[in-house]
Amino acid sequence: MSATAPTAHDDHGHGHLKLVYQPSLPINNGKLFLWLFLSTEIMFFAGLIGTYIVLRFGVPSGSWPAPHDVHLVEAIGALNTGVLLFSSVTIVMALEAAKNNQTGMAKGWFLATFLLGSVFLGVKAYEYNSKFQHGIYPARPRSLLHEKADIYYLQAARLRLEGLQKHYADAIAAKKLPIPGGGAAAVTIAAGAETAAAEGAPATPEAAPPTITPYLNIDDVTEGKDDPNVQHYIVATNLLNHLVKFAEQVAATDPDPLARRAAMELVATAVYPLHHGPGGHEHFVNALKSEATRLANEKDSLAQQDQALQADKQEKLKQIEEQEKAETKDEAALTQWKEEVAKVDADLAASGLRADAIDGRIQVHGDLAAAQHGLNEAHHWLRLPMKIPSGNMWASTYFLMTGFHAIHVLVGLIAFAVVLPKRLDSTRANLIENIGLYWHFVDLVWIFLFPLLYLF
Amino acid sequence: MADHAHSHDDLEHDEHHAPPGSGKYWAVFIALVVLTIISFAVGNSSALRENAPQVMWAAMMAVSSAKAMLVILFFMHLKWEANWKYVLTVPASIMSVFLLLMLIPDIGLRTRHYADDRWLYAAEPAPAHAAEEHGGEHQHSPKEDGEKKHAS
Repeated sequence: MSATAPTAHDDHGHGHLKLVYQPSLPINNGKLFLWLFLSTEIMFFAGLIGTYIVLRFGVPSGSWPAPHDVHLVEAIGALNTGVLLFSSVTIVMALEAAKNNQTGMAKGWFLATFLLGSVFLGVKAYEYNSKFQHGIYPARPRSLLHEKADIYYLQAARLRLEGLQKHYADAIAAKKLPIPGGGAAAVTIAAGAETAAAEGAPATPEAAPPTITPYLNIDDVTEGKDDPNVQHYIVATNLLNHLVKFAEQVAATDPDPLARRAAMELVATAVYPLHHGPGGHEHFVNALKSEATRLANEKDSLAQQDQALQADKQEKLKQIEEQEKAETKDEAALTQWKEEVAKVDADLAASGLRADAIDGRIQVHGDLAAAQHGLNEAHHWLRLPMKIPSGNMWASTYFLMTGFHAIHVLVGLIAFAVVLPKRLDSTRANLIENIGLYWHFVDLVWIFLFPLLYLF
Repeated sequence: MADHAHSHDDLEHDEHHAPPGSGKYWAVFIALVVLTIISFAVGNSSALRENAPQVMWAAMMAVSSAKAMLVILFFMHLKWEANWKYVLTVPASIMSVFLLLMLIPDIGLRTRHYADDRWLYAAEPAPAHAAEEHGGEHQHSPKEDGEKKHAS
């Protein structure tokens, strides 16, 4: 210190200043470097945190995900804050001990700091893993987050379910078990409907393929009932046919835009309900009930319509029969009657399809109502796309900020590991002080990140 | 001259009043833990979150700033450092605040300038204040839009 300190100035009586040259700041070069580095770090993290605040409060009000929506546990964050604060104390204790040449004590405190930093990173890894388990990643293609429930959301859900269906069908075939429901009958209804919806025009009835796989029941399975592949195949197939494709049909053909939106939102809520409160699930179940009532009414009117169509058909068949018997055949009239019968048959087939769709839909309601925390929670292997508004922005900012912080922690741990084998006496006090300054800064950043990410 | 004398004093100060013993560090640690508990309690108060979220955010930021000051002053020894500390910390802090002020109008308040069309394709419906600003026009447009599509 004395080398850089100015010598006492003497201006007694002479009336002018005698300036003393001071070659540098009164601190050692290492510490000066570290403080310059930290001042750039302040700006670096201020940029990240500032951007986060601006993005967080810039989203439409109420759409930023709540901590529980994205599997953030505040208590774990608070625990990690405590760990880091404690490690800040242990590093100053190490510095104090080193200054007093208590090398054993210094080493002990230093080791404690290293271990606490490792605990912090371990907890962080656990937290990241719990996000990954639920399909929350910073970016596509792994991320399952969708901003809203639109036709692209339904498309993503359908592609996922079709993939699962194929995967489990292959697995079942490999075990030489019969595929429930015949397997091959699983045709896509929505292939035509989807393109129509993308163009914004309702699909024509002809676009619908001829069959709908009925709801598969596990109790009807004769072989391999306990095989998880069979069980998963049944769940995926039912959801594909009676949840997602049904919604795609509505989204493509319903003239009411509110009904289209409601059908798509229902899929999103079934997969991943955003508000986990007890009232939220009740609300969902009530929505299912009202849909069931509506569908039952529709089925009744379909049955009446079918009766009328059947009577009409009998009438027309009789006409044809008479025409065939007549001696002078009116070929033109005969063709016309036949065409009309074909038309009635087409109508009957369409209403039969619709009735099958309604049956399957009402049966799948039971599965949806049973999955109280959403299908993704009920069946972890499903990993269907989830609707979390602003979820992608959340994931980007969360992983970026905690990731940069974790890298800083890692650098600190490396520095600890390098210094730890050395003798920590007063000659190394400056080194320990500099590492400590860096470590305190890492703590400082977390002090702001914790409330901003976990509690805001 | 005054400056010179001042820095001289600081150095004297530095030498004679070196950072205190370990007792003070533990006191600071306890204060930090208590402050963490306070911000945890504030952040988990549903009453505050529902009625006055701004107060909640401001309280948590104030607590964080207090914690940051404790760490900087005691653990990083800035309380006992000479005046050079201002040279290194004040410009960086000014730049940080400047950055925030640059970001807020363009990005932070971006939804205030959304066109009606933009709201139609937003993930969430327009908040009430946006409806007032636009005379509520966009609230009718989705339906009209949908009907037009159906008619075509």
